[in-house]
Amino acid sequence: MNTFVVKKWFDEGERCSFYTVLVGENKYSETDRFFMKFEETDNQYNREAHELLRLITYSIGNVYGAIDAFFDRTKNKAQALPPKPKKGIPEIFQMGINFPLRLYCFRISESIVILFNGGIKDQPTDQESKDLSLKFYEAQQLVNRISEAIHDGTMIVDNDSRTLTDFQGNSQIIL
Amino acid sequence: MKSKVAERMMAKMPEDVKIFVDKYADIVVRINQLLKEKNYSQKELAEKLEKSPSEISKWLAGDHNFTLRSIAKLEAELGETILYVPKRIAFQTYSEKTISFTVLKNDHINTNVDFTPVTASCKSENELSNVI
Repeated sequence: MNTFVVKKWFDEGERCSFYTVLVGENKYSETDRFFMKFEETDNQYNREAHELLRLITYSIGNVYGAIDAFFDRTKNKAQALPPKPKKGIPEIFQMGINFPLRLYCFRISESIVILFNGGIKDQPTDQESKDLSLKFYEAQQLVNRISEAIHDGTMIVDNDSRTLTDFQGNSQIIL
Repeated sequence: MKSKVAERMMAKMPEDVKIFVDKYADIVVRINQLLKEKNYSQKELAEKLEKSPSEISKWLAGDHNFTLRSIAKLEAELGETILYVPKRIAFQTYSEKTISFTVLKNDHINTNVDFTPVTASCKSENELSNVI
């Protein structure tokens, strides 16, 4: 897997800060690439992308934090701080039973979430969905690398200031 | 700090999307809190509502399009209000202008009670709770 940088994506809410990853030589972060796919107003999923963005930036970011109610509970069980290497599982924001978009993320705590990429869910499972299967696999790899970095101290989690830094205090963490 | 892409999209976000998502999030959180407070397991709630445990699991994860019927069933089972609807009441004033007030309809409180004046000798919690 390519080297990637963990960097801030949105931290203007009062409850939760969101990070993202910039992979290899890409110009845009994975989360920006996800939203850019649906950004045009004539895109079929533009409204759903806006709904997801509002849930992230306002409901979770500003009002409630990354509480259990917004995450897949069965997958939450694998989480602990620091997460054990190889045990981290990407989670999915869900907005209703027929919601067509999936955005993978890794909930470090109720106040810090790392967002990845995602896509359109058009099959019963993510792995069967053409637009998701590769993203799901990539998200799992990213979670494993980030989990290891937290576990071995390469990445420092500070829930009080809602920040992630490397062991030298840098806000952009190269992994 | 805000991603430029997020910033662009937030600037164009339709108002009804904000209203929908904010209410949706409030309902999901409210239901989850009530179930926790009342110690309802998914299995128990499924039995009470005559639903399958997997369907209840989707409700609790927020993976459900709530309908007024499903919320009414939950309110009936949990004995708590999930949705409050503001009431609008119009008053005619002496100047013949009509003024409208929006009133939040809270749970009914019986106000037809005798009040006991609080005295210095009324100190215990029990006494105070009787007064209140």
